[in-house]
Amino acid sequence: MRRKLASAILILVALCALFAPAIAPFDYDRQFRESPHAAAGGQFLMGTDNLGRDRFSRLVYATRISIVLAPAAAAVSVLLALMLSRFSSLTTLCLSLPWIFLFIIMRALLPLDTGPFASILLTFALMGVAGWAWPARIFNASIRQIRQSGWLLQARASGMPSRRIALIHVWPHLRAIAVAQFRVLVPAYILSEASLGLIGLGVAEPLPSWGNLLAELQRPQAVSANPWILAPLGLLMLVMICLEEVSA
Amino acid sequence: MRFFALICPCLWFCSVASAAELRFGLSGDPKTFDPLHVLDDNSEVVRYLTAGVLVRVNRVTDKVEPELAESYKLSPDGRAITFKLRPNLKFSDGTPLNASDVARTLNTALDPKQASPKGDTFRTDQGVPVAKVNSPLEITIRYPAPKPDLERLFDALSIIPVKAEKIPSSAGPFFVSEYRPGESIRLTRNPYYFQKPALDSIRLDIQPNKDIELTRFLRGELHFINKLDPESFDRVAKEKPAAARNLGASLDSDLLWFNQAPSSSVPEWKHKWFTSTAFRHAISESIHRDDIARLVFRGHAHPAAGPVSPANKFWFNAQLKPLPYDAAAASKALASEGFKLTGGVLKDRDGHPVEFSLITNAGNRPREAMAAVIQDDLKKIGIRVNIVTLEMGSLIERIARTAQYEACLLSFTSVEINPTEQMNVWLSSGAQHAWWPLQKTPGTQWEARIDKLQMSMASEPSQALRKKAFDEFQQLVVEQEPIIYLVNQDHLSAISPALKGTQPVAAPPQILWNVGQLRLE
Amino acid sequence: MNNALEFRISASYGKTEVLHSVAGTIAPGEIVALAGLSGSGKSTLALALLRLLHYRGGSVTGSITVEGRELTGLSESAMRSVRGKLIGYVPQSPGTALNERLKVRTLLEETWSAHAEGAGSFGALLESVQLPGDQVFLNKRAGELSTGQGQRLLIAFGIMHKPAVLLADEPTSALDVITQAAVLKLFAELNQKNGTAMLFISHDLLSVASISHRVDILHEGKIVESGPPGKIFSAPEHPFTRSLVDAMPRRMD
Ligand SMILES: Nc1ncnc2c1ncn2[C@@H]1O[C@H](COP(=O)(O)OP(=O)(O)OP(=O)(O)O)[C@@H](O)[C@H]1O
Ligand SMILES: [Mg+2]
Repeated sequence: MRRKLASAILILVALCALFAPAIAPFDYDRQFRESPHAAAGGQFLMGTDNLGRDRFSRLVYATRISIVLAPAAAAVSVLLALMLSRFSSLTTLCLSLPWIFLFIIMRALLPLDTGPFASILLTFALMGVAGWAWPARIFNASIRQIRQSGWLLQARASGMPSRRIALIHVWPHLRAIAVAQFRVLVPAYILSEASLGLIGLGVAEPLPSWGNLLAELQRPQAVSANPWILAPLGLLMLVMICLEEVSA
Repeated sequence: MRFFALICPCLWFCSVASAAELRFGLSGDPKTFDPLHVLDDNSEVVRYLTAGVLVRVNRVTDKVEPELAESYKLSPDGRAITFKLRPNLKFSDGTPLNASDVARTLNTALDPKQASPKGDTFRTDQGVPVAKVNSPLEITIRYPAPKPDLERLFDALSIIPVKAEKIPSSAGPFFVSEYRPGESIRLTRNPYYFQKPALDSIRLDIQPNKDIELTRFLRGELHFINKLDPESFDRVAKEKPAAARNLGASLDSDLLWFNQAPSSSVPEWKHKWFTSTAFRHAISESIHRDDIARLVFRGHAHPAAGPVSPANKFWFNAQLKPLPYDAAAASKALASEGFKLTGGVLKDRDGHPVEFSLITNAGNRPREAMAAVIQDDLKKIGIRVNIVTLEMGSLIERIARTAQYEACLLSFTSVEINPTEQMNVWLSSGAQHAWWPLQKTPGTQWEARIDKLQMSMASEPSQALRKKAFDEFQQLVVEQEPIIYLVNQDHLSAISPALKGTQPVAAPPQILWNVGQLRLE
Repeated sequence: MNNALEFRISASYGKTEVLHSVAGTIAPGEIVALAGLSGSGKSTLALALLRLLHYRGGSVTGSITVEGRELTGLSESAMRSVRGKLIGYVPQSPGTALNERLKVRTLLEETWSAHAEGAGSFGALLESVQLPGDQVFLNKRAGELSTGQGQRLLIAFGIMHKPAVLLADEPTSALDVITQAAVLKLFAELNQKNGTAMLFISHDLLSVASISHRVDILHEGKIVESGPPGKIFSAPEHPFTRSLVDAMPRRMD
């Protein structure tokens, strides 16, 4: 029952994201300059931001970006981790790399006429590639454990082909870890995008993302003025809880 | 009656304990307590409050007033100044202070081995000044060539004691009596100072977090905040209306400019736009400065009229007015330059769509919002702007060294009300010559003229002539717009009503400049 | 006729040799009990015979022949068709030898299709080890079985393909006396019906004696004595065997 509800919510959110142009009443970058900081209700469902942009429309478009790109990046990381986890020294090396500087260098090398969408795509792609070492380390530890396990030896003693052993016996263990890692990485990437935004590597104006909408929460007093500023946070938490429920 | 007698001394104690100590926040630990080596703002606050200086510039009247020197006299040739010290001056540790201490301080500051930033302000192209002690109470300082505003330099020269210590004794109204790194600094009144300030002590709480600082101010734990952002200011205005103080336009300007330097990353046709005065003017005219002030800064900013903020009352060219928003006029001007609007996209004579990237530093939300406003404004006349936020290091790299950018949005901050302060920006050969750093020779006549005006402002002894040159310079910048000035943000501060005697000004040290007159009630 | 199993091997973990040129033969249809103290190398011997010891970090030298076929030198894929088919194996600790995430059904089917085509039917097999063959049981996950059930399931895997030789490493350690007796009976039946030769590892000499034709005593990495159970019990030669027999509970007749 809860699982059904959770998947229904996820599907609803995904549909909203997919049909953003139809659902959002306004363009995400339309500035109603006569109504900055408008309160919720009336023409603006969740009010407007400092430039008079409709918060609801921005949230819908931001969802579109974050809900597609963050899981995609997380999936890339987990897949890479699975493929590369056997190279434990490579994992250690990658864990010790100062990624933030690589991101800065990447941004510095990127042509300036890279559009906002291309650059956000690139940012998430890089996060996906850069993030593989964390899950890899976990895979590595559990693969080591699996190697020592009695059931693997038993499976070998029964004459099962190694591929079959990997698929039937080993994969269920790795899949559980992969799912858990995926669940950890999705919100981590959404938040990383927000903090990368602070050093200029996130979504550029005027594109909205959960990250840069969340960044508004840095000013606590803004929330009392318009509680709908919390909406992206609420949505993020809802999606995370539903993901948890569905993949459990 | 007995009840009253009981409560009365108690009240008296409380009021004394709190009323005589001024408290405010400092954003971090001072890097140094050595007055000659101050570079950061926090050290400068401590230096200012402990400084024993010969004269002080009144930040409101802009007049030079006596401090440790009871009088001074400039020589008729404008090369020398003679100070007469007050009798019986002493440092906070009780050692006497006389003319030889002044000479020693100046010589230490000028010693190349010291690399003192204070000393640098005394240097000129012609050479360094020489100090001559005439008597224990009289000293003459002589330059090889005339030096405009000679007396004002001494506002920033704290006289230092012979004994060099980590926290030296002071010749000013307060001395550092306690320092807890990361926590607080306590300044106590210097008992030997020639004047008695109303405050007994000052406590500077080291508080890097602006939001906590604001909360503490609103709780009454701090007496003032020197600089607030518009959002926090509005909160103070709501919760403690009497404390919110808008000091008017600050000396800082928000601005943007186009890269005019020859650069591999700027296509030749874009270079043509950027070097066209008509193009720059059209951009300038299509940016809605009022909206930036109103939306981005919540109304606590004003459209800029030119390179000098009106806060700089003396040097600002009062003839200049902010350029009003007029997208129609801009479109017309662009059309007459051969630009054509087709299908919502502006194209130049050769059919190149007009678009450019605008870089700015990351993490500055008001600046990003400003960029979004500009982006939206220019969209209306068919120009696409791509906003790119960069980490400060790579931004500087691009604008100062590689010239790999098209347009840049930044702000210039001013600390002095001095026309030559930004010489590095305006001289064609300057290292910070924004639109074309280290340009060998000025590219156009107006640039050559700006160079000439800047040079004359640095050497012209007559203030009236300097003002005239400076006015012409401002006029020229507004006409040519190598840098498009957008807004001057207001200087916003919060001052507790309990703090009396304040005459806050927009330039540092804002509220503290007349610390001698501040008192608590 | 060839022996079912013939071997002479040394095995070591790193630099420590734990089996010193241990030799043995098992004739077709013969049940040999291997007894020895804990740590004497019994399990090591079983894994060495399956050529699986390297997965435990050990190494083996010597020769192993099954029905006259030399195993040392065979490729891993050739070994695969030997394991489970020619040589059945029942591991020692049922708690860890079953993949707790998999269903009983999956485990049965996978063990089946390792050496056989088509769908296997497991009703009779499960019944023979006294396990239920119903859907509820088949759909259980291995992690949900009791230790005894697990051990019986492992026995079922070991005998599924009717191997020529069965290596059973303490196959009844987790079973109650009644089930233990039933399982021993099953081994005896298998031996009679299919002529399966068995190496029956145990330190419980008494229970082993009832079904085995011969008892080998492993001590400090060597077979120190070998003979029919009657002789081992009545006239042990080696001092170690003597102490082993002396330690056994005596019947009071
Ligand atoms: N993976 C291994 N690495 C190193 N040494 C091992 C390893 N496995 C077993 N040994 C050692 O080899 C020796 C024989 O172990 P083995 O497991 O074969 O004994 P066992 O006779 O089966 O004992 P038990 O009756 O307790 O099962 C022991 O000394 C043991 O410590
Ligand atoms: Mg064992």
